[in-house]
Amino acid sequence: MNRRLFMGQSAALIGAASTLTSFSAQASNLQKAKIIVVGAGYGGATAAKYLRTLSNNSADVTLIEPQAEFISCPISNLVVGGTQQMKAITTPYDGLVKKYGVKMVKDSVSKIDPQKKTVQLASGTVMSYDKLVLSPGIGLMLDKIDGLAEANKAGITLQAWKAGPETVALHKQLADMRDGGVFALTIPLAPYRCPPGPYERACQVANYMKKNKPKSKVVVFDANPGIASKGKLFKAVWDDQYKDLIEYQPASNVVGVDAKTKTLKFELRDDFKADVLNVLPPMRAGGLVIETGLANANNRWANVHFLNFESTAAKDIHILGDSIQTAPKMPKSGHMANQQGKVAAAAIICELSDYPVNPNPVVTNTCYSFVNDRDVIHVASVHQYDAAEKTFKAVPGSGGLSPAPNALEGVYAWGWAKNIWSDTVG
Amino acid sequence: MMLISRIKITIAVAAMSAVAPLTISAQSNSAEQIYTMSLAATCANCHGTNGVSAAGGDMPKINDLTHEQIKKSLMDYKSGAHQGTVMPQIAKGYTDEQINTIAAMLGKKN
Repeated sequence: MNRRLFMGQSAALIGAASTLTSFSAQASNLQKAKIIVVGAGYGGATAAKYLRTLSNNSADVTLIEPQAEFISCPISNLVVGGTQQMKAITTPYDGLVKKYGVKMVKDSVSKIDPQKKTVQLASGTVMSYDKLVLSPGIGLMLDKIDGLAEANKAGITLQAWKAGPETVALHKQLADMRDGGVFALTIPLAPYRCPPGPYERACQVANYMKKNKPKSKVVVFDANPGIASKGKLFKAVWDDQYKDLIEYQPASNVVGVDAKTKTLKFELRDDFKADVLNVLPPMRAGGLVIETGLANANNRWANVHFLNFESTAAKDIHILGDSIQTAPKMPKSGHMANQQGKVAAAAIICELSDYPVNPNPVVTNTCYSFVNDRDVIHVASVHQYDAAEKTFKAVPGSGGLSPAPNALEGVYAWGWAKNIWSDTVG
Repeated sequence: MMLISRIKITIAVAAMSAVAPLTISAQSNSAEQIYTMSLAATCANCHGTNGVSAAGGDMPKINDLTHEQIKKSLMDYKSGAHQGTVMPQIAKGYTDEQINTIAAMLGKKN
């Protein structure tokens, strides 16, 4: 009897000891691991923050970003239209460092070696990683349109699709344009960053014209067969609010730009001359993804395992946001990149802790578009992971659109912006 | 002799259980905690990290609600009993179990 009791206690002790050993190993694996996040936009900054919080602040997280501050693409169309300034869409990175203990390095990554598991910075420093998170946003394929790279470099055409100096420059071109001028906006074939964004931009430019240059107009040349997002809602707004200010031309694929004469050249229609040329080029994954050989979907986007956002081409490299080949109905949006950052952060912390990865992640998307300086329309969706198909699927019956533009959602849009900026960068 | 061994073992186990859990809880979240935290974080884009809004009155507050209040609100949005703009569309995408987990995580704790 005594012996049985003794044996039982021995087994308990061995069990306790092995549990302790395994917990210690988990803790030390997690604490020893070097996690590098490249790109402090919606995906990368969120991942860095949640890698810290989900590890109870024990993970070693370095975030590499060349920009001094976070500048939001969502809301930036209001800066193009002149109803907001850059400071309204700019947030410092201080919170990530001071509140969440993320180590920030102000530099860019020039090379990744997936075999040696190192990244080389533009400054020359080489850093080793155990886990690498890439969130480099989009790459602009300027060379797909004749003359565009030179015209854009000279500032004659602008994209302003990566919010920053071009956002300000595009508003200046609009403000400097004569009354009676033409603002041409061209949209590439989907997929591209922010599906409703170009149509919101048309509204914001027309909103400016309505108040300041009423004889002018926006001509939208869309390479797609129709409006790619919120189509009926945007059409109704254009008819109701901007009848003579917005002209929409579907199935119009721009193939060339003549910078000297400010002329657009098309695949199937006549040349078109305008006062302002806002040419959005075809897009693909950010340069680092391409150069590292991770763009294994049509040489353009990166395939990932959706349970942890790990590249299908390289172990321990996780890719987020606009660079990935998305799941069906999953948009390339800032909101979605933030959500992906949380799924990836949770998966990485689990992997480094020898825990199974969450088998049922869920992500949402909410996208607000301002149709003037007050009224907003939204599209929303919820995507649950489907284990059988190994992808995220939009939940039937969930999600949807606004019934019509309204001011209440204009208030919520600003609430969303302030909260997602805070959730992303501190 | 056997008794002494037993006492030693008991002390050793007691000592470990007194120290080890503290060390572990200070260093690591459990898998379940990580799943729960990341699920609740799907709400943070609109409602703020941990449900604490940085947007003043521009977004309905949720961090002053209890577990039961958040759960009822989400279930009412899901069933259509409660109208709204975005939330009825979002709530329909979550399972009842996920809604309960989110409400427990974000509901105020007193």
